[in-house]
Amino acid sequence: MTGDRFERLLRDAAQDYHRPPETPREEMWRRIVGARARRRQHMLVQRRWLHWGLGITAVLALGIGIGRWTARGPQGTETTAGRVPNEPGNLAYRVAAAQYLSRTEALLTGFRTEARPSAPDAQFAAQARDLLTTTRLMLDSPAARDGRLKALLEDLELVLAQIAQLPAGGDKEDVQLITQGLDERSVLLRLRTAIPAGPGPVRMQGAL
Amino acid sequence: MDERELIARVRAGDGAAERALYDAHVDRVYRLAYRLAGDDELARELTQDTFVRAFERLASFRGESKLSTWLHAVATSVVLNGLRKAKRFRQRETDLDEATGISGGPPPAEPDLKRRLAQAIDRLPKGYRIVFVMHDVEGYTHEEIGAALGIETGTSKAQLSRARGKLREALADFAGEWVS
Repeated sequence: MTGDRFERLLRDAAQDYHRPPETPREEMWRRIVGARARRRQHMLVQRRWLHWGLGITAVLALGIGIGRWTARGPQGTETTAGRVPNEPGNLAYRVAAAQYLSRTEALLTGFRTEARPSAPDAQFAAQARDLLTTTRLMLDSPAARDGRLKALLEDLELVLAQIAQLPAGGDKEDVQLITQGLDERSVLLRLRTAIPAGPGPVRMQGAL
Repeated sequence: MDERELIARVRAGDGAAERALYDAHVDRVYRLAYRLAGDDELARELTQDTFVRAFERLASFRGESKLSTWLHAVATSVVLNGLRKAKRFRQRETDLDEATGISGGPPPAEPDLKRRLAQAIDRLPKGYRIVFVMHDVEGYTHEEIGAALGIETGTSKAQLSRARGKLREALADFAGEWVS
């Protein structure tokens, strides 16, 4: 047999190698449209959280700076510990802290009610990662001088770290452990108590 | 509508233009995905991923090549990555089947030419198999293959030649029947 003839036979026979059926155009198009809509939605949510996270982090950092500066007297002595000085300079810090606590409460409430043990939403993990940075800043802020608030922040840091590290596929036991920890340490109740009451950005009740 | 206008309209978010671009290229992308994957569901997923990614990245398409060349480079990248993941998944399944003793029965005693050829193609080294399928089965040119895989045209030709050589060796016993 000549090489050319073999090549032709080979090529003809190869046409049956994984011969595709008719292209399922409409079904694939529907799935593409759906997938793109989900990706757009996911990106919008991520962008919104990123903007919020950056804003809060910046305001908190500013507030902490002002707080540390105002906490020292003219001779560099510390003022009374345990309370955030109630001065206009701390307004930014108070607003940011109140927003941080509200956002954290919203996340944990959502996680507790919506996270299915078999498939926790990856969105929770992304939001938890954003909030972790702010939690660390809060722990370094004057707020941490309050023993109750410091304990709450430390619990929040642990819970947020656990949510942030949840694998994408989800793990039933991990989710159960997190919700169990939330219940046992009454984290949500303590968090709600710490959130200043009343409308508007400057809430003077609660732990702050 | 020419290609440049189509691209401009897709970039502007024109849904009809997106559908036109999809209609113009989906057959070839799906066929390649199916030929390489050998599985309808996987081929559909790979085709969908190709277009989702292509629509997202069209803003970065600078028009230095034809749209079809660029799109097939995206498709080839998606398909090869998808096949790597699927292979790992299938390997785990195979291991499980072997461990539980539920693997398939013995192979057919007298496989015909097409079955033997399919097996021989499956056993080709990955690079040879891709070039062989793209060129001899789906009719891509060496220039298109080179652009899609990021290799030189000469490399594509050399790999095709080696692929054919290996298939010829694998089917040597059939060659005798064809001669007679």
